[in-house]
Amino acid sequence: MRRNAIWAGKLLAVAAILVWSLAPIALILSSSFKPERDIFAFPPRFSFVPTLDHYAALWARWPDFFVALGNSFIVTVLATLIAVAASLCAGYAYSRFRNSWLEASAFGLIVVRLIPPIVCTLPLFPAANALGLQDTHLWLAVLYATFFVSLGTFVMRSFIDQIPRELDEAAAIDGAGRFATLFRIIAPVAAQGMLAVAVFVIVFAWNEFLFAFIFTSTRAKTAPLVLAEIVGNFDGVEWGVLFAAATVQLAPVLIFVWVMQKYLVAGLTAGATKG
Amino acid sequence: MNTNRRTLLTGAAALLAAPGLARAQARRLDILSHRVHQAVLTQGAAGDLTEPWRRSNGAELAWTTADIGPMQDRLLREASLPQTDFGVGYLLNSRATPQVGALLEPLDGLLQSDPIARYDDIAPGLRQAMQVGGRTIAIPVRHATNGLFYNAALLEERGITAPPASFEEFLDQCRRVSGRRGEGPPVVGLVMTAALASYPVIFARAFAGDFITEDFRLLPNRDAMVSGIAAIRGLFEANALPRTYATITNEDQVTWLLQGRAAFAILPFARHAQLNRPDQSRFAGRINAIEVPVSTTAPAGTRMATAVEFWSLSLPRNARDKALGWSFIREMSSPEVTLGSARNGNGPVRVSTYAEPAFAASTPLAAVEAAALSRARIPFPAFPEASRAEAIFVEEVQSAVLGRKTPAQAVADTASRVQPLLPT
Repeated sequence: MRRNAIWAGKLLAVAAILVWSLAPIALILSSSFKPERDIFAFPPRFSFVPTLDHYAALWARWPDFFVALGNSFIVTVLATLIAVAASLCAGYAYSRFRNSWLEASAFGLIVVRLIPPIVCTLPLFPAANALGLQDTHLWLAVLYATFFVSLGTFVMRSFIDQIPRELDEAAAIDGAGRFATLFRIIAPVAAQGMLAVAVFVIVFAWNEFLFAFIFTSTRAKTAPLVLAEIVGNFDGVEWGVLFAAATVQLAPVLIFVWVMQKYLVAGLTAGATKG
Repeated sequence: MNTNRRTLLTGAAALLAAPGLARAQARRLDILSHRVHQAVLTQGAAGDLTEPWRRSNGAELAWTTADIGPMQDRLLREASLPQTDFGVGYLLNSRATPQVGALLEPLDGLLQSDPIARYDDIAPGLRQAMQVGGRTIAIPVRHATNGLFYNAALLEERGITAPPASFEEFLDQCRRVSGRRGEGPPVVGLVMTAALASYPVIFARAFAGDFITEDFRLLPNRDAMVSGIAAIRGLFEANALPRTYATITNEDQVTWLLQGRAAFAILPFARHAQLNRPDQSRFAGRINAIEVPVSTTAPAGTRMATAVEFWSLSLPRNARDKALGWSFIREMSSPEVTLGSARNGNGPVRVSTYAEPAFAASTPLAAVEAAALSRARIPFPAFPEASRAEAIFVEEVQSAVLGRKTPAQAVADTASRVQPLLPT
């Protein structure tokens, strides 16, 4: 009896979490197919004739949304490559070497994580302007990568800690240098960790707003900025178009996270049982 | 081919100069705006109104659009740099503080040497609000003036055949239409966001009061403000305001009116078209607007000075090509472009535009809006601590409406808390 009650309680808790997590996504998805008048109908309408009008309107009236999606993709890929490469190198160094400089720099990495991003934007804005990096994909990618290298480094370090040092030693005996050991021996074994880091960076870079709105204008403008414009239309928000855009923006990252979820869990738990 | 040092140097110099030459050949004006600003100048019934200017100046326009807050932040950040690519930026009236004014080019000299056609035709309240520190810092080009929207169908269901003629009648109608409506959803008399100061300001102005005047007098008629807040509280107590009054957003007001969940809302006149679109509204063709009426207790001759928000074109002081920027501002604020952009959906800042037969014929509320605009004033003037002052005022009004303090106490507390924030 008591076991049944516990089981039912767990089931209820899981159901509540699922509703809490999935309801907003379901709302966005269903609203993107609802006729405009029915989106905020009261009481809500759950049966409706689906329409693709909002997607057509999004394509016709907000063509720059799709350009911005392309920019989001470029920035996300670049940021991921930079962050993963830097995290791999740094994680390897922290895993295999010990000295006071490294400890101090590890502290520095944590400090970087603690700095509110908005604080960095003030000095970075004139700097980016002076360097001619304003409104470039590269600048956004570097910024995104910078804020994730610290987390990525510790994730990679946990992964690499689990790789036996004997592999390094065997490679050294075979004549491999540090870089060859890292990229030819360690990296393939730590691929799961690299994927975990990549998932974090991709989700962050795909959705990031603050840096994008400060450092882009037209050429590197990303999709979240256009979404904000659709919301902020002071001639009246086109809710159907907004939900269609949100669905298009959401879909790739949702699918990606779904496919990669096992690596995400691995990344979060890496080193958790090391003792 | 022989490659010597001279050839290399010449080639390198040409490469370095190429971007500059390209820039010099194609003049380009970078504009920082909201997307709606771009749309009303380039799309719609009147077509692309920038085309003649682009042709005559041999220049291209590069629009950078963003949502209101980010766009205004960006404008000020750009204007703070040693030099900016942006030649023109749209400025919201609430941002026109002396600090911001210092970042923008004073336009008085340009207005003298290269004047805007019939500049005096622009609504005086708007022009005055762009006079900061004795200098004109921007030219008004778009306004959103608030009117009282009503759902005629919902009023008729309760036997009300005409919109209110006085503020008291308006409050009474709000109470009468509130409640369950047959099988339909419950209706509230008035849907109103609690997040903005402009609404209690309009209520106070109905009693000949105000929040902060243009010469920075705080609560010039406290009794009127008390009456205004008491009126909102009365509606809340009578269930004529949503029970969720404190969390209603600006967009909720539109949604509630579209869905027939509210009989009245105070919104910009420009919303009329959206509120009557059959694909959006459950009451298309039945939603109309009037000027917000004044109270019968207000002094004789009191006319409603409704709240207006507006956008202006400004010239960053550090812009690379100010002559090009001014040329654009001058053209886009001309009577012809004002009319054209109005046909494209813009709120025209020139009172004369409303008298244009073609525009008046296509705009059902033209006469009402023109009358409201001629007396409209901004909710309160811009000053460095304006955001805090608004937050305090909104908080005090909410406290009074929700019954946590009396309207008189809320007004007294507003006075004591806001006074230190005003410019001296």
